[in-house]
Amino acid sequence: MFIHILLRIRLVDPASEAKSLHRRAVAVGHHAPMLRVLACLAFSAAAVAQLPLPQRYRDAGVLRWASDAEGGAPFVFLDPARPELGEIGFEVEIADELGKMLGIAMRRVQAPFANLVQTLERDDCDFAMNGLEPTDARRVQVRFTRPYYVFQQQLSVAPGTTGVRTLADLAGKRVGALGESQSHKLLLAHPGIETVVYESSTTAYEDVLNGRTVAALADLPIARGLRPLYPRLVDVGEPFGEDYYVIAVRMDGADLQAVLDEAVGTLIANGTLERIYRKWNLWVPAEARLAEPEVVRKVRDGKAAEGAGEIAWGPAMASLGKAALVTFGISVASFALAVVVGLCIALVRLHGPLPLRWCAVGYVEMLRGTPILVQLLLLYYGLGSIGWLREMAPFAWVFKTDDYTAVRISILGLALNYSAYEAEIYRGALLAIPRGQREAAQALGLTTAQSLRHVIVPQALRLSLAPSTNDFIALFKDSSIVMVITVVELTKQYQMLANASGRFIVLGFVTCGLYLCMSLPLAFAARRFERRLDKDRA
Amino acid sequence: MIRLRSVGKRYGGRTLFERLDLDLVPGKTTVIMGPSGSGKSTLLRICNQLERHDAGVVSVEPIEIPAGLPEREWQRRATALRRRTGMVFQGYQLFPHLSVIDNVTLAPRFVRGVQRAVAEARAKELLELVGMAAAVDRFPARLSGGESQRVAIARALATEPEVLLLDEPTSALDPTSTEGVVQVIRDLRRRGFTLAMVTHDPDLGRSLADHLIELPQAARC
Repeated sequence: MFIHILLRIRLVDPASEAKSLHRRAVAVGHHAPMLRVLACLAFSAAAVAQLPLPQRYRDAGVLRWASDAEGGAPFVFLDPARPELGEIGFEVEIADELGKMLGIAMRRVQAPFANLVQTLERDDCDFAMNGLEPTDARRVQVRFTRPYYVFQQQLSVAPGTTGVRTLADLAGKRVGALGESQSHKLLLAHPGIETVVYESSTTAYEDVLNGRTVAALADLPIARGLRPLYPRLVDVGEPFGEDYYVIAVRMDGADLQAVLDEAVGTLIANGTLERIYRKWNLWVPAEARLAEPEVVRKVRDGKAAEGAGEIAWGPAMASLGKAALVTFGISVASFALAVVVGLCIALVRLHGPLPLRWCAVGYVEMLRGTPILVQLLLLYYGLGSIGWLREMAPFAWVFKTDDYTAVRISILGLALNYSAYEAEIYRGALLAIPRGQREAAQALGLTTAQSLRHVIVPQALRLSLAPSTNDFIALFKDSSIVMVITVVELTKQYQMLANASGRFIVLGFVTCGLYLCMSLPLAFAARRFERRLDKDRA
Repeated sequence: MIRLRSVGKRYGGRTLFERLDLDLVPGKTTVIMGPSGSGKSTLLRICNQLERHDAGVVSVEPIEIPAGLPEREWQRRATALRRRTGMVFQGYQLFPHLSVIDNVTLAPRFVRGVQRAVAEARAKELLELVGMAAAVDRFPARLSGGESQRVAIARALATEPEVLLLDEPTSALDPTSTEGVVQVIRDLRRRGFTLAMVTHDPDLGRSLADHLIELPQAARC
């Protein structure tokens, strides 16, 4: 009875609800003492009346909510001007309000936006709240609460761009959007537009200013939240479309869904959400629709469309195959470059003049000692956006803006990083060649360069074959990191297909199979070549 | 003719030799002997500048290499001198990644600019001379010690050197292999090649020498 009555509490006006509870409690004579106490508690705590959170969450003592702080303004972010405030954002404030209402501490869990649903399914968090839209694909994987925000889409372009006001004006042009977002899906629904997928909205806007895309499409809150960072961007056309942000909980979390749903309803009704949205300049007239029962029913109780979560295996396999070719091409090209650069660096380090030797040491240590992710981001969004550098040979060819800019920069970035490792392998191999071999070459009258070319380097390359092959196989897998600079390679394609369909296991095995199809023949070939060399040596 | 004048060499705090004069006379065999550590191998290596000398002059007309040359200039002159000498090492030092024929043709092709076909024809003649004609396509790892040393001699001869330097060519070989290599050296001597050989074997040295140089034990300073 206690639970039953509590569940019926509507928190539109906590004080009046508490009085009502008191009346009901009096009517239920045999529970009178306990309910009297409860009613008194409700009166005294009317301002922060709490919803009955399921016991397992109370036992845990904390409610974990997942979101992605990367490029998260105004959702969740650190204000660089005031880092002492910690994470801020309108969703942080909503979470705080929910926490107060539920009487439990809230703890944010960092998760990539594209994997919020999987984070939830893995039980790494209790609910996800990060501008999630109630898509059909997600609807077969998780439960949604009623919406807490009505959002529209905003198109942004670089200054001076003309003739772009709607998506119809962007046929045949490159347009960026956050991967797995509603904007991304909207762009995919316009086959004439060449969609470029980003890991964060900030990088999508960077590329508009870099001239790599004509426009970026984003949820209105994102466009407004990031505007201070990109004051040069111009919003074009009116915000369009209408969709909703919802909180997602696991399929087995119907009780939590009910509590959160009720709590969101209260925040809407008591004006808390409006206050938060006005503070963050996110309030638009469409927010009035949040309270409409029809919207609540449609979003929370809607059913996934027929075939949602299904996957068309033919096109899916074709897209994975195509992405595997991208991975193969990038890996082979970058490793070939890494071998050449690495060998040159090793030779300079051992045989070059002293200043160049120090430069070679610096090159190796700098590239080995910093993360490849940072190097790629620095190349693509940092150096690639410096005008004079982009026009300087030979960088002009790498950085010039066309459909393959990201691919070229990926090859360059991976090659530079791996060349540092290759240089050390070759240096070790060169030092391992017996001194007598160099003397024999010298005694024959070969110059130092000829000795290296015909005697020392060929032997060193044979010695380095095994570790180099190992590096090449590692590069095949590491190449997936280029997805951060918009290249859709095998892992990214897998991620997109799996997120859209929920078929993580089957698609995961297929993807692993494709990686193995590329790396195993290489390993076999290297082993065979080594055996042949051993035969020569034996 | 390689000529050493007033050559001195110090090594590890010891004076190996000083004010040493040596002429490697064309058509003759010079044998250098001495106890271990006397510097006999070092002297041979100074002859083709695998080792730098500390005093005096090493010359092969018209190249003169005085001690103390700047590194770059020394490199230039030493390379020119080496192109007129051949060297056979105690440990053979064949190039393991190249077949026998490629070992022998490497220097003619890339140092002297001889066409591959011509270089190979000459290499086969030389391999025949040292009794290794059947091994042209084999790799060094498949050769015995004696076979390796005979190929090493053919490789050194392929550059048509004015003098062939042999650094203990038989010390790593068993008696049978030694006999084969010595036979090749005797044959070269008979054909009038200019040879300079370091050996610790007195009988072998005396049996081959036109000129015999015996180095004393190096003095510690």
